[in-house]
Parts: sequence; C-alpha cells; structure tokens
Amino acid sequence: MNIDTSRRSFLKFLPLAAVFVSIGGAAFRFLRPKLSAATDAWLDVASVSELSGPQPISRKIVAEQITGWAITTEEHNVFVLPAKNNQVVSAICPHEGCEVAWEQNRNRFSCPCHESFFAADGSRISGPAQRGLDALPARVQDGKLQVQYISKEQATRA
Amino acid sequence: MRSDNSWLRTTTGIVAVLIAVQFLTGVLLAFYYVPSVDHAYTTVSYIEKVVSSGSWIRSLHHYGSQWLTVFVFIHVIRLFLDRAYAANRIQWIAGILILGLVMAAGGTGYSLPWDARAFFSTRVAEGLMAGLPIAGGMARLWLLGGSEISGVTLSRFFALHVLVIPALIGVVVAWRIFRTQIAALFGPRDAIVGTLVFLVLALWALKHPAPFGPSVAEAGADYLPRPGAQFLWLYQSLKYIPGGLGSIVGVVLPGIVLAVLVALPWLKRQRLIAGSLLGLGVVLVAIMTTVSYLSDRRDSRTAQQFARQAAAEEAWRHQPFNPATITLAATTANASAGAPDMYTKFCANCHGTQGQGAQQGPLKFPPLLDVSAKPRRSVDDIVALLKDPTAYGLQPPMRSFADKLTEAQMREIAEWIVKLKK
Repeated sequence: MNIDTSRRSFLKFLPLAAVFVSIGGAAFRFLRPKLSAATDAWLDVASVSELSGPQPISRKIVAEQITGWAITTEEHNVFVLPAKNNQVVSAICPHEGCEVAWEQNRNRFSCPCHESFFAADGSRISGPAQRGLDALPARVQDGKLQVQYISKEQATRA
Repeated sequence: MRSDNSWLRTTTGIVAVLIAVQFLTGVLLAFYYVPSVDHAYTTVSYIEKVVSSGSWIRSLHHYGSQWLTVFVFIHVIRLFLDRAYAANRIQWIAGILILGLVMAAGGTGYSLPWDARAFFSTRVAEGLMAGLPIAGGMARLWLLGGSEISGVTLSRFFALHVLVIPALIGVVVAWRIFRTQIAALFGPRDAIVGTLVFLVLALWALKHPAPFGPSVAEAGADYLPRPGAQFLWLYQSLKYIPGGLGSIVGVVLPGIVLAVLVALPWLKRQRLIAGSLLGLGVVLVAIMTTVSYLSDRRDSRTAQQFARQAAAEEAWRHQPFNPATITLAATTANASAGAPDMYTKFCANCHGTQGQGAQQGPLKFPPLLDVSAKPRRSVDDIVALLKDPTAYGLQPPMRSFADKLTEAQMREIAEWIVKLKK
C-alpha cells in the first residue's frame, strides 16, 4: 500500500466522522429519557363520614403526571383502610405491579399474577412480594380524605 | 471512470453526505414526532423547546432538505456537462431519480409539523393534485385519503415521507453504488468537500432554528405562509398561472422533464434535448426564486408582516412548552342524558358527543359544558345563535344551521346544551 492510497482511504472516513460524531453526540442527548414529574396535587378519595367498618374500601383516583410532551391522566385503584385510621394503600402489588383484589371471604388482598397475599391492614402475608402494600401520603381537608398518588417505582426508591 | 478528479466534480460527495444527514436526523425526529392531528404540533413544539439539541436536529433536517435539493440539482447539471447520460447511464439516471425523490420528500415533509405553514402547504398540494388533467379528482382523493384534509391525510404524508420515499432513495443509491466502482464514486476530494458542506450546514442550523408557524387556530387572517426554499420557484410561478394550469406547471411538466431526462441515454440528439430542458429549467427556477425573494423584500407591507411573524415566532420560542393532555386508563366520563339525534348529526363532530369540545389539529373547538353560565346563552339565545352565529360574535367554522334544522330541532338541542355541566 503506497502513501497515496492510505491517505485516500483515511479521507473517506472524514465525512463519516464529522456527521456521526456531531449528530451522534447530539443524538445521545436528544434521546436521553426525561423523568416523569408527578404533579403533587391532593386528590379526593372519599368523604370521611362515609368511611367506616372493618373492610377495606375500594376507591378510584385520577392522577396526572407530566410525561414527555403530554400531561397523562391515569385512573388508579386504591383501598381505604377504615380499621387503620383511614390509611390509603395503592392497589399496585409491590412485587411486579399487577393490581391486587380484596377477597372478602378470605379476609385478604390477593395478587392475580404471582400469588402474593396481604392482610386487611396491607401488611405482607406470603408470596414473592417483599413488602406490604404501599401507603400513599394522605390528609383530611374539609371532611374529605385526600391522597397524593405515588407509583410503585417511586415507592421503591423512597 | 473519472479521468479528471477535479474539485468541481465533488457534487457526488456533497449529495451523499447530505442524504446521510437527512436519514440520520429523520430517524431521530421520528423518536418524538407523532403523526396525528392531535399531537403533531405538540410533539414538534416539544422537540423544539424541550428535547436537548432538538432544535438543531430539526433545523439540520429542514435546511438540509433544501440544501440537498440545490446540490442534487447542481449535481445533475454537472453530470450533464460531463455528458454522463452517454458515458455512464446508471449515474445519470440515478441522479435524475434522486432529484425527483428529494423534491417529493420535501413536499410531503412540509406538511408534517401541522402548523399554519404545513396547513397551507397541504392545501397547495391538494390543489395541485386536483388540477391535474383527467385524473385530477381521483389524484386528490388518493392523496388526501378522503374528500377533505384530515388525520388520514397527515398519515399518508407521513407514510410517504418516512417509509416510501426514503426506501426508494435507498434503492436508487444502492443500485448506483453496486453498479459502479466505489473508488470512482467517492474519492478523497468528495470526502473533503462533503465534510466541509456538512460543517457549514451544521453551523447554519445552530444559528437558525427551522421555522415553525403558529397553529392554524392561532394564525391570524393576515398570516403569510411561504414554502421551503426549494419550492419558491413553484410558489412564485403559481401566482402567474390561472387556476388548474398550476398543476401542469407544478406536477405534469416537471414529471415530463424528469421522465425525458431519465430516458435520455436512449434518445437521439441527447445533447440538444437535455440542454434545452435543463437550460429552461435552470433559467425558470433561478428567475422565479429570485423574483419571489425580491417581491417579498420590496413590498413594505409584506416585509412588515414577515417581521411581525418572525417576532411572534421568537416570542413563542421563549414561552414554556405547553403539554397535551392524554388519558391512559379509562376515566369515567361525564355522564349526561343522551344527546339529541340532530346534535349528534351536526354538532358532535366539532363540539364532542357530550359537549366536551374537541381539538382537530391546530383547530380548537370550544366545549359547551357550563355554557349556560355565560352571558347571552339562554335557550332562546342558543336557538338564535344557531341561526346566525356571527350576530353572537362567533367565527367560522361555526356556521348557521337555519337551512339544516327546524326551529323545534334547534330548541331541542339548545335545551339539552344548557343542562351540560362540567
């Protein structure tokens, strides 16, 4: 290989390098994921007056998250535990994120996916889940029970 | 093949580099862009305002397409002067095909941001198709995917722009490469000049973000749209040509010219035909483009309007990003009593099946919920409004329904609307 040919083959990489290094560098920043920002709004769950009894009460809340270019509205199931001073727990199983259901006749929450079971107070009984159901930050305002929604991933990090 | 590797013959390198830039930046934009009339404008705003380097990537793609068109055009002229149509048919035909495909990519791509410019560009494309002789009506329907510009139209332009045309360009480039010795195709000087052109484009795009007009709903009646630089000649020509003849100049003639040029290697008197066609094309495009720039500059009102638009765009760039709202899991909708049939037939398309309003692309249709709380919106007012919306200060697309609905039907609709609550 003489000097001329090696110079030629080197030069062929010049535009490749220019285009790929500059656009490629920008591409990393361009594609880098943006973390979702949960709006920290307090969401109405129920009137305190209608919460009583030993059974967990199923409720739906509609939470907003800023995800990418949209504000995403999503409905989530939660359970109010009147027996535990109206604590509110997320219905999302802390194992892999399926939604648990309340089994009234067996007095437990059960996860339909991998058979994790939780007691009426949300604590873990058995199964692959490593912790009880996640409690959501709650408060009472003007006779209304309100919560802030946090996802399973946020609860895991906390 | 190439005896003289002169700097003037490096157009291949420039075109190759610019095509690579278009493919790369196009793929990146597709990671955020959503081809729906609901979200196209929002996602392009998001790329411009929020995504790192987004404005630069989009600008590279926007101006890159214009530069690419110019350089492919110069490339074809260079091939002609080299008599490539006789010496290297593949190179010649590939050059002509790329020119046509790059123009098609530019035309379809302009509609995708779904801003006011895109809206007008889509309208012009619609008109050009409709004006075609014999098959015009059919061509328009096929391009739009229906009888009006709609979400289907945007999807069609998207599919053509990101799937069909790039695939065809890929096939032509591959065919060109495999039928020619690579060494002859892309020499060291091609590499140097291609790199230089890319660097200039990269700096240009850093300094100049790609233009982005207001959404159609926000664009005033005085908004002046302009096409991309590579179509200014067509835009200017259409000013002089009456009605349907525009399609002849904009679509049929360029098509015939490209077809003749592709067939050139097999035609006798090649030089004469190609020389006159190309010469005519070059002169026409150069004159019309120049006239277009000059007439925009000279007319002081036009110049002032462009200055206002530029200022509005600059102001828009400094406003925070305004996200869309989407619903992931089903949320319980506002249940209200069933809408009257005539409401569903005439009103629901714009104002929503339950009066929740709608957004069709940049057009926002107001919700009717709680409308009775506003002044001049009693049942009687709404009936009168349905007959004569302008008397109530409403703008098109809201129209009078006096010719469509009876008094009783309007009253039924009005009585249902005043009950709508948030």
